[in-house]
Amino acid sequence: MIIAGLKARPVRTSVSILAVALEVTLILVVVGLTSGISSETGKRTEGVGADILLQPPNSSLFLALSNTTMPVTLGDKLRELPGVKVVSPVQTLVNSSAGLEIIYGIDPETFNALGNGFIWHKGGLFKNADDVVVDDIYARAKNVTVGDKVELVGHTFKIAGIVEHGKGARLFISLPAAQSMTGNTGKASLFFIKINDPAQVQTVIGEVKKLLEGYGVIALKEYTALMMSNSMPALDAFISTVVFVALCIGVLVIFLSMYTTITERTREIGILRSLGASKQFIVTLIFQESAAVCLVGVVLGIGASFLIAKAVTMMFPTLIVLITPDWIGKATVFAVLSGVIGSLYPSLKAAKQDPVEALAYE
Amino acid sequence: MKNLLETSDVRKTYSVGKIQVEALRGVNLRIREGELVAIMGPSGCGKSTLMHILGAMTKPTSGKVFIGGQDIAGMNDSQLTGTRREKIGFVFQKFNLLPTLTARGNIDVARYIHGNRANGNDQHLADILHLLMIEDKMGRKPSELSGGEQQRVAIARAVANKPAILLADEPTGSLDTKNSEIVLNMFRELNRRFKQTIILVTHNPELVAITDRLIEMRDGVIVTDNDPVSWDNESELAQPSV
Repeated sequence: MIIAGLKARPVRTSVSILAVALEVTLILVVVGLTSGISSETGKRTEGVGADILLQPPNSSLFLALSNTTMPVTLGDKLRELPGVKVVSPVQTLVNSSAGLEIIYGIDPETFNALGNGFIWHKGGLFKNADDVVVDDIYARAKNVTVGDKVELVGHTFKIAGIVEHGKGARLFISLPAAQSMTGNTGKASLFFIKINDPAQVQTVIGEVKKLLEGYGVIALKEYTALMMSNSMPALDAFISTVVFVALCIGVLVIFLSMYTTITERTREIGILRSLGASKQFIVTLIFQESAAVCLVGVVLGIGASFLIAKAVTMMFPTLIVLITPDWIGKATVFAVLSGVIGSLYPSLKAAKQDPVEALAYE
Repeated sequence: MKNLLETSDVRKTYSVGKIQVEALRGVNLRIREGELVAIMGPSGCGKSTLMHILGAMTKPTSGKVFIGGQDIAGMNDSQLTGTRREKIGFVFQKFNLLPTLTARGNIDVARYIHGNRANGNDQHLADILHLLMIEDKMGRKPSELSGGEQQRVAIARAVANKPAILLADEPTGSLDTKNSEIVLNMFRELNRRFKQTIILVTHNPELVAITDRLIEMRDGVIVTDNDPVSWDNESELAQPSV
């Protein structure tokens, strides 16, 4: 009876299913995009090879999104701390002309010493102030190669080399060039610190905090876990807002659909009541129809989300849409919840109808 | 024969805006098991209202109504629904089949509501379908059936759960002469062969010919009742017989 009822009104059923699918897709794609970007950023930052990240007080976890800096000479004091092997200053810039691209201004010698160094695909390190090194994903996304010019932060740079991705940023210029462009001569946005014994990371962090009270010091592993955890305060509010909006869409569409359905089927409800169907039977029937719509919508929405994720990655290789089983489960629950809430009033209204009046309804 | 239905001074008043309309003004009635009864009267005499009360679709404003020995006047909606489900079968003038289901689906939903899951080996249902000549129509939706066929499906749906009482409100009102005759003969056969108690509400005098008893109503009261069994005393009305 449920399937027959849904098939009898194909347009309305299809619209309701699409609305639920939209709800699910909205949640999965938006959450997946934010999670993907933050997770991938976390992985790339970990890929630098350092053990500790040092930032000035009141800095953002999203590197380069704050203007606070520290003197580069702090690095000398950090190198003197027991257990510290390498200290590499980085001045970050943000290029917003084509999305949001973080640029690292680095000291190549110390930066390479943090890990295994750059893996070169083409070209080499910057020789001039207007040289830039890009990673392979950026090169593919922008369709550029060694020798090409790119506009970054209002300056024209020439691509000196292309490296394997996963070293913090996708764009690298010399530290002095970055300092000059930001007006922060002699300054750095952050320090990457490599220590002799990774097992002693908390001890070294303690020493750094003693030396620089109030500064942001975090183990890179902890930073990566935070970026991949979806628990960042700034993101939480955004994700909650998206989920709330999606839920509202689902509730309203299901409500409208079920309300018009029970109005059109007043006589049918009267027939069922005349056959001895209880109020509970009527409520359950409406809920079951709503649940069927939601479940089909969920399946469609999940499929659409994966398709969109693939399309986004193909069109914008620098973007990652991370769709996790955890969020697929949550989106399903939200969709079913919106169906239940949306059909609650219509189902109760249907059940309360007087059978005699319902049978007489034209 | 035991009494299946008894009413005592049943009254029903409706509010139409600010006006109070007395649809029933004191109806006393007894229907026994196995009877085939016609309730006749002009439009507006209260016969449909009486049918709704006898079918536990609504309660009287005052008076007593005993269905299968239980007074429905004090019942809540859930109890009324249960009484309707267990004891009553309805046939309506406009057939009232569920348009999205096949004939079989319409019968099955009635059985499902009754708690009687669809059973391919149900001999009673098979006999009913054979009697009503709709065995080959089970796969069709109401829109694919003629008026007479739809009404016969509605009858099958009404009696599938072997109700104590079958109530038919103007069952031939939407049918042509030929189909009316077929449907009337079906009712007679149901009564004769299956001892189904049937109450036909109608203003069609041709129905009277097939019934054992005729009750005439006018202005909310019964004016004539050729009940072969007379009312002996009022104490019989006070006590339910079943």
